[in-house]
Amino acid sequence: MIRFTEIDRKQAFRYTGMHGTPDEKLLALADRCERKLLAAAVPNYVYRVCPLTSSETGIHCTGTALQLTGKDIAAHLNGCTQAILLCATLSAGADAAIRSGSAADALEGLVTDAMASALTEQLCDAAEQEILQRFPDCYPTWRFSPGYGDLPLDIQGDLLAAVGAEKRLGVSVSAGGMLIPTKTVTAVIGLAPQPIPKGKRGCAVCRMAKTCQFRAKGVHCE
Amino acid sequence: MISFEPFLILDGGMGTMLQAQGLAPGSVPELWNIERPETITAVHRAYVEAGADVVYTNTFGCNRLKMARTGHSVQELIAAGVRCAKAAGAKYTALDIGPIGQLLAPTGTLSFAEAYDIFREEIEAGQDADILVFETMSDLLEVRAGVLAAQEHGGGKPIFVTMSFEENGRTFTGCCVEAMALTLEGLGVDAVGVNCSLGPEELVPVVQTLCSWTTCPVIVKPNAGLPDPVTNAYNFSPERFAACLKPFVEMGAVIFGGCCGTTPAHIRAAAELLHTLRPVQRHPQIPAAVCTANRVVTVTEPRIIGERINPTGKKRFKQALAEHDTDYILGQAIAQVEAGADILDVNVGLPGIDETEMLCTAVKAIQGITDVPLQLDTTDPAALAAGLRIYNGKPIVNSVNGEEDPLNTVLPLVKRYGAAVVGLTLDKNGIPKTAEGRFAIAKRILDRALALGIRREDVYIDCLTLTASAEQAGVMETLHALTRVKEELGVRTVLGVSNISFGLPDRELVNRNFLTMALYAGLDLPIIDPNKESMTAAVRTYKLLANLDRDAVDFIAHYGNAPAAAPKPQTPEQMSLAAAITAGLRSEAGMLTQQLLETTEAMEIVNEHLIPALDRTGAAFEKGQIFLPQLISAASAAQAAFEVIKTYLTEHSGETIDRGTIVLATVKGDIHDIGKNIVKILLENYGYRVIDLGKDVPCEAVAEAAEQSRAPLVGLSALMTTTLPSMEKTIALLRERCPWCKTVVGGAVLTADHAKRIGADYYARDAKETVDIAKQVFQGTEGEST
Repeated sequence: MIRFTEIDRKQAFRYTGMHGTPDEKLLALADRCERKLLAAAVPNYVYRVCPLTSSETGIHCTGTALQLTGKDIAAHLNGCTQAILLCATLSAGADAAIRSGSAADALEGLVTDAMASALTEQLCDAAEQEILQRFPDCYPTWRFSPGYGDLPLDIQGDLLAAVGAEKRLGVSVSAGGMLIPTKTVTAVIGLAPQPIPKGKRGCAVCRMAKTCQFRAKGVHCE
Repeated sequence: MISFEPFLILDGGMGTMLQAQGLAPGSVPELWNIERPETITAVHRAYVEAGADVVYTNTFGCNRLKMARTGHSVQELIAAGVRCAKAAGAKYTALDIGPIGQLLAPTGTLSFAEAYDIFREEIEAGQDADILVFETMSDLLEVRAGVLAAQEHGGGKPIFVTMSFEENGRTFTGCCVEAMALTLEGLGVDAVGVNCSLGPEELVPVVQTLCSWTTCPVIVKPNAGLPDPVTNAYNFSPERFAACLKPFVEMGAVIFGGCCGTTPAHIRAAAELLHTLRPVQRHPQIPAAVCTANRVVTVTEPRIIGERINPTGKKRFKQALAEHDTDYILGQAIAQVEAGADILDVNVGLPGIDETEMLCTAVKAIQGITDVPLQLDTTDPAALAAGLRIYNGKPIVNSVNGEEDPLNTVLPLVKRYGAAVVGLTLDKNGIPKTAEGRFAIAKRILDRALALGIRREDVYIDCLTLTASAEQAGVMETLHALTRVKEELGVRTVLGVSNISFGLPDRELVNRNFLTMALYAGLDLPIIDPNKESMTAAVRTYKLLANLDRDAVDFIAHYGNAPAAAPKPQTPEQMSLAAAITAGLRSEAGMLTQQLLETTEAMEIVNEHLIPALDRTGAAFEKGQIFLPQLISAASAAQAAFEVIKTYLTEHSGETIDRGTIVLATVKGDIHDIGKNIVKILLENYGYRVIDLGKDVPCEAVAEAAEQSRAPLVGLSALMTTTLPSMEKTIALLRERCPWCKTVVGGAVLTADHAKRIGADYYARDAKETVDIAKQVFQGTEGEST
């Protein structure tokens, strides 16, 4: 469990579709949403480190049933001998806070949801930092998640099983293929024994590139 | 009968043992019940030889969802699992049932009924076991579904439940130890406890709390420490593991075993230790309390029951019920909780509606957005039974009285589902005039409850408030009766306060003073309107003065930093309704509408003030001058104005504003509904009647709603690429069953092209565009009022 005392508002406001400076009313609302969300969420993560082996069908994470398929993850893990499998969640409490905010007022729902998305990013960053401290001699890649590029979403079940996310974190995949609780991220971080060239990231491999509202306005989500 | 004397010893981990025998990662352990039964029996036997009285069958994940891909039925795999366990020669075989692996609504998408049926199937398949065990559970609602299935299909076998708690003393879904204890003891399980998640040392505070909140035998089944993230190995030796169990024995736990990482060596060490110890008798003093999974409210000091969810005398509420407008009820719920309600009364009875269905809908919806306990208020035993069944936690039943009929129908339901109950001091002869008469009825109700095994602490007596205007002399009789039942019967007391002032001027003044008198007379549960600040303030002040709010912590938290009174909303001379809407000022918009209604026709306000203001905001949004938060803010202010108009119309003319009906839904499989909710508000702002089917809606339900309402437009939302196929399916079904109906789709992953490909008539980029599309579809029918 990681404790956070504040949420990255700038990021959260961007998620609401907001540009420019928020007015006082919105700032006060953000305060309230932040307080409730921090009280309700239980940010936590689990991870596992696996040696990687390549085969014709994809990259296999040894010791698990997880098979990473597609061109993009292969390029991402190029030169890596191991991978960190990560699952991070804000817990069911965050979902409850969003529902409760939405019932009170639509704007409160929107802001709580955006705050939760921002907090999820903070959690992933913090988790990554903590984990990487255990591997001072390795060169990590950035976080690559199912659904990015051509890495299929249907590996979520195997990825969750590999890290024991159901038992250790309370995360599951719904029949519709969604991670539940909703503010949950899974990711693969490659570990290489020597420096690796920076791979493509951001919009270039994002599935949302064609429909993204941020790009439409000429900006980025990150 | 299972003997717990002196201790009952359970087995240890199964997964670890099977992996050591070569079970591949990601494969299904239950398959070995059929493929390698001798290996499974050997593991069980090793535990029996180590001293386990009970072995858990290798069926933890053996439900129809998880086994779907194995090619074997649940029946086959469980029956084989029980055979393997029985062959090991243990004293008892426990059918091991783990979480379903899909979360229940509202967090997930699984329904209570589906969960019940999944458990029923497992339980029936495991009929040869001696004990039914639910373990590693996180969601109390899922546990309730399992326990009910076990009681109703398990042939009377003992039921054990263990849940998994984290360091914060809660499960992943937020369930606290006290709530588990209250709820499961109320349901009548045979033993409760903890397993998995933590090592024995971290479980000490959790078990301590559990032991003081239940009279059931307590189970402790910890992991062998915590797993190493790199090696995945657990780090406690058998000796260390066993030594850690001693404090639990001292707390009074009597059933012990091991979870992940434990082996026969751990169980042997535990058994050897337990042979040297004697069980400790527990005498927990469990306070009067009700709960939801995430919050326990003790009735050891005055607690406010919010009375607003009740249609009696409220035309607007009746209209909301008739229209199945759950959002209206949720708005009432959240407002009361924010104002200080500790418990919410829920009464949704109305002639002509299906109260059973409505009560269940309301309970589920309210429990989805707030964690305060509920008081189910109905006179319909069928609705009550259905509500009690799906309620997550321990509720209050409102109510029984001294008549035979309710005593015979309601009290057994209270006992069956482990609720608390309100007893009204009236019977077939009406309300006794004297305190003596009411006391006698209270005693009758209490005796009947005790005879059924309902705890005294779970009976809340209502001595009934009579109106001071009609029966002035009766006021003090009520309070005398209240003091007597509390002191002489040792029960908690409850009272609907607001009735006191009926027919008098300045009702709030009368209510507030009566409330203080009643609190002093011993009232525990005032039923009031918490939105009236003076009423909640009276309760807080009483708690301060009665030395219940120690050091005035709560009082100071509420009133210590009271901000200077908020600037009074401006008057119409200074601000127009349109300006209030554009600025997103809800209360001002409501007030200005109220004032406008004195001089202006309702429809004129809508057409001349509201809509133009919304149009302007929408245009500014389109041009990028304002952003989504401001658009929603304006929409909310317009919503407040509409609410005033709606209330006015229902009370004065019975008219409704209806520019046409639109069905909205987030498609099956998707539970993101923030975008859809924003669309809904905007459409309602423009006077459309929106039938909101919610999220995760099956395509048949969308078609049915469109068919029944003859809606010309259906809006569908999806946020995930994985749920787009369900959108396509819904559109296809609408084409077939409702050929008149147009479809508009939206959601982050959609594009205009994609919308066309899946057969939608329109694609809307945002909420504003949906309104434009609606205008286009409804062209020619606008401006009608029916």
